[in-house]
Amino acid sequence: MILPISNNVQNKINFSAEGKGKEKKQLEYEHDTLLNNNPVTRTNIAIDKFQNMLTVYPAKGLKGSKNANFYEFLTMGTVPYLVGSATLMGVFNYANKHYKHFASVKASELGRKMALGVLLYAAFKGISKTFINTPVKLLTGIDLEQPYAKVIYELPDDVNDTDITSIEHHKVFESVEFSRWDLLYGDESKGEKRNFRYDKIAKKLGMGKNLKDSDQEVKPRIKEIVVKSNLAKNISSYLWAATGVALAFQQPWDDYFQVMTFKFWKGKEFKKSMSSFVKSLKKSAKAFYKGEGYGIKKQAGKILLFSAILSSVLGVVNTMSSSKKISKTDAADVIKKDDRYVVN
Amino acid sequence: MTSNLIQNYIVNKPAGAKQSTGENKSPRKKPAPYFDIQHELNNKTFIKPLEGKGRLLNGNIFNAPAMMVKDVIYDAKAFKHAAKGEANDHELGKLNDVGLMLGGLAIAGYLASKKQTPMTKGMEFIGLGSFLASMAIWPKIAIQLPAYLIHGVNVQKEYEDSFGRKKPFYQDPQFIPWDLYSDKEIDKIGDRLGVPKNIPNRRDFIQEKMRKIAIQNNTLWMLTAGFATPIMSALICNQLEKPLAAFLDARKNKKADNILKHFDKYAKKYNSHSTEKKLAGIIEVYKDKPVTPELERLIQDTLTEGFDFVTEQNITKDLKKTFRLNRMYTINEKTSKIICENLRKQFNGKNYSEEFLNVILPKKEDMIRIMNNAELFNKQIPFKDLPKIDYNIITFISEKVAEYNKKVPADKQEDISLIKKILFSTTEKNHPTAKVRPQMIVNTLNEALQVKLKTVAKAFDDFKAKHNALNKYAVLKIGSAPETVIANYWNNTADDMLKILGLTPKEIEKGRLHRNVMGKILREKIEHIVSDDKTYKKVINEIVKKIAVINEKIKSKDLTNSMLSKASTSNKYDELIDDIFGKFAKKLKESNIEFIKTSEAICVTDERYSGGTLKQLQKTFVRDRLLGVKSSFYRIINTLDFYRRVATNANGIKGLENNPKEIKEELVELCKRMTIQGRSSDNTTKFYMLRNPNPSTKDAPLEVKDGKVVNEFFGHAAETTDIPGDKYFYQNAMTMMFDGEMHKDTLDALSTSSIKNEVKTYRQLILDKIGGEYYFAKPYHLIRDQNRTSSKIKFLLNGVPLDEFFYKTGQQAYNTRKWTKIFGGFGAGLLGVTVLAQFFFGKMKNPEVTNGVKND
Repeated sequence: MILPISNNVQNKINFSAEGKGKEKKQLEYEHDTLLNNNPVTRTNIAIDKFQNMLTVYPAKGLKGSKNANFYEFLTMGTVPYLVGSATLMGVFNYANKHYKHFASVKASELGRKMALGVLLYAAFKGISKTFINTPVKLLTGIDLEQPYAKVIYELPDDVNDTDITSIEHHKVFESVEFSRWDLLYGDESKGEKRNFRYDKIAKKLGMGKNLKDSDQEVKPRIKEIVVKSNLAKNISSYLWAATGVALAFQQPWDDYFQVMTFKFWKGKEFKKSMSSFVKSLKKSAKAFYKGEGYGIKKQAGKILLFSAILSSVLGVVNTMSSSKKISKTDAADVIKKDDRYVVN
Repeated sequence: MTSNLIQNYIVNKPAGAKQSTGENKSPRKKPAPYFDIQHELNNKTFIKPLEGKGRLLNGNIFNAPAMMVKDVIYDAKAFKHAAKGEANDHELGKLNDVGLMLGGLAIAGYLASKKQTPMTKGMEFIGLGSFLASMAIWPKIAIQLPAYLIHGVNVQKEYEDSFGRKKPFYQDPQFIPWDLYSDKEIDKIGDRLGVPKNIPNRRDFIQEKMRKIAIQNNTLWMLTAGFATPIMSALICNQLEKPLAAFLDARKNKKADNILKHFDKYAKKYNSHSTEKKLAGIIEVYKDKPVTPELERLIQDTLTEGFDFVTEQNITKDLKKTFRLNRMYTINEKTSKIICENLRKQFNGKNYSEEFLNVILPKKEDMIRIMNNAELFNKQIPFKDLPKIDYNIITFISEKVAEYNKKVPADKQEDISLIKKILFSTTEKNHPTAKVRPQMIVNTLNEALQVKLKTVAKAFDDFKAKHNALNKYAVLKIGSAPETVIANYWNNTADDMLKILGLTPKEIEKGRLHRNVMGKILREKIEHIVSDDKTYKKVINEIVKKIAVINEKIKSKDLTNSMLSKASTSNKYDELIDDIFGKFAKKLKESNIEFIKTSEAICVTDERYSGGTLKQLQKTFVRDRLLGVKSSFYRIINTLDFYRRVATNANGIKGLENNPKEIKEELVELCKRMTIQGRSSDNTTKFYMLRNPNPSTKDAPLEVKDGKVVNEFFGHAAETTDIPGDKYFYQNAMTMMFDGEMHKDTLDALSTSSIKNEVKTYRQLILDKIGGEYYFAKPYHLIRDQNRTSSKIKFLLNGVPLDEFFYKTGQQAYNTRKWTKIFGGFGAGLLGVTVLAQFFFGKMKNPEVTNGVKND
């Protein structure tokens, strides 16, 4: 479909995020910007995504907007997780109140553990990623979760639509094929050394200091590390999540469920509930590790826990094993400045 | 019509420097076979990108397995690439699915390990499977299918790109590979979408519309999947529970039958030879060493391992006796010295002078001499001769005391009987010679004893293995545990009973509140059923058919309750028990180690007494379980039959005749209540009922309408009370319920059934065992002779009362139904809204039709 660009040109619409006029939308960023990976930024990004995935993106999607894109679709992918978790809890708990007392008590025992399992699944899955990210960052200087803000120029819905920019929050290494290498270069106008980030990584990786083209040297290695760490996170995070569910199914949680309350305004009760939570967590962790009975029933907890630990350890080891290798750039792949080439 | 920009570029191509052909250089890498660079260059044409190799994928059930295999191979390769750090984004995305699957299996595996039965273990994996299936099925049935039916657009279309990567066609709305659709295909979809034929850029318009529909549907998918997946998964699990239970039940039953069929094979399988192995270990260590009490205890523990408490106790007793009787002792210099010291210690704290004790008590040399004279010193002394040691010592001391007494005045003489008491009237622990016995033992774990023990150990292992096989069979068939054959039978039959009797969801909801409420509902229901010939025949036939399944599951030739199946008391299970226990008991009795008590505890060979043995326990365990279950179900048949007799010929019921009308009314009322609600305690109290103490003497037949007695007197008495002394009333009630001919329709239903004789016997047993009960509070309330039936048998024969049976079954049914109603309803509503929403998708204003303009 041919887009009505001519109309826009005639109407002198400014396709830019630079908000000069008062009527223009003031965006936080004018161009793609690398963000600091700290709790504040992460919280802001999470809030922004949470708001958008429940409001803006579904609205755009349901209208079939021509500006709907893959990022929005992916961000909306969190909705089934959140709603699904709540529904899963509901499936095992909501109907219990209709049962007779004994059946209700028995069903609630299981239902509450299921609900806790859902929460611990998410918690363990989230936390487990730091088991890969943190060692990799410490050992290589590569921040696998480095966020950046991307300025998007959208197509106007009509000739009067001037709100054509938006911000998306991505990660520099979310794509191993199209990593945003450009954002990692220093801003020389601000006095930063162009390759200062790559220099740092090269040094951490043991490739030496003051390399002439540190960016070119470390990029293949960074890519390799990103791929391997992604594999490690994909596998280990689900094993940790399973460990969370298993932990939730321990008998000592029943003590907590007896006094459980979320009414924080009832100070004494809430304090007792929290104290019981901590105690039950400790006891459950012990029960999970020690197991009961004999054979596989007794060992299942240990097997699961050590599988999860092993997956994280092996993941880090595999990721780091590559970072010690010397770059294997094939001479045939090196572009010679004097020759001309055909791209096929 | 748009111009071809590439062609324009070729035609007006600006002159530029010639490109390097690299003719003089040999290429380092061999080009792909489909691309010959020399050919391309010699052709003098524009070097353009390679032709795309992507294609749309048309998945169906025929190519699904092949695609699945291809996907698995792709995932495996992706893992390999990722491990090497060479994977691309698509491969990494696929590995997330692998992780999800792995994590799911880990959860299911862990939770299954904590479950006890195959069914509960299996449901964990079904839960995982159903969850993953729901994630895949929901977008297919709620998004893809309706969208295709409404718009003709497959919004979940997949394609394979030039690199063989499978991707959703509409994954990224900004980069849709439209070139994979031919003009013809797009036109066809456009026609289905109702896009006018003669509009400019028709293909672009159709594509835009398809894109819009896809975006809208994908968004709808994301918004609904969270609700749908868990609910759908739970509903799938719910539906799969019964088929899985049926499959596992059939498997378990077959397994149990095989144990009996190939009993020796299974007995061999269960023989771990653990006793023999452990004994061999003991012999290895203690060979030819003295048989000390510690060693005896070790042997006892080894031989008793795996037996029940009673048998264990008897084995221990027998072994102790055997060891004691066979033990050999010796007295030597060392033990002589110790005995002398012990004799002296007995007088510690007693008022005897040192001088006196020195005179009367033997010294070591004395002791050796005494024992030598008695021919005991350094000789092997059997247990029975041990008192000789004490006798000779006391003789020596008595002589010494006598000698002493002769030398001293009468007032200073000592009493020998008192000295004897001090020395030997004490416990074994403080006995001067008994406590030296362990050091006196000389018999060893010699060759002869080893052979004896090995023979016994082999017999024990053999018996334990066979016993285990029998137990395995019994537990699989009728064990008091979840998912045994009989437990599954009970659950299935109970569920079916609700349906056969036609209890409505409302009635079940009401009846689950209390068994009395359920009792009333049941009574109404049964009275309605029995008042109609056709309905009764249908219901009683279905009930008999369902109940008779037990004799298919547990065949009387294999296992039966001899009380109910008088005709066929012999069954394989009992025969095996008689054979195994009998032979083992005989073997023990005849063994060199005489296991008299043990053999009696296992199987009394005296036929006059057969109670309280291990063999009897093995038999009664299964008999009792069968009796309890069968009685509960036969009671339903008898109850329906009684109600039917009342409905069709009340005045002809045996036991009712010769009573005034008011008594008849009371009797029928009582029997109706008792058949539904009667418990063991009601039989014990001979039926408590508030009756008219001064009933009318009017003699008239009962009037029955719609299965109910139209009471003229009952319920109208001014005063009511229980009349405990009325033995005839009790006798008549029992006769009405359990004596006399059953109704023809009931007999017809039973005539071709395998339970016909058992139901008949059940009724007789009730009369004999319960009806004939001798009860102190109401003597002579007998309709049968007095008997010695145990309370347990009475309880089992009484079975579960109908009101309680349906009350509990109803609760389970209500819970399941309620849950299904809530979430099934929600799921159905969600599906409806999801489908309905799609009718509003893809709305676009059609461009104006331009006549004569051909579409691009």
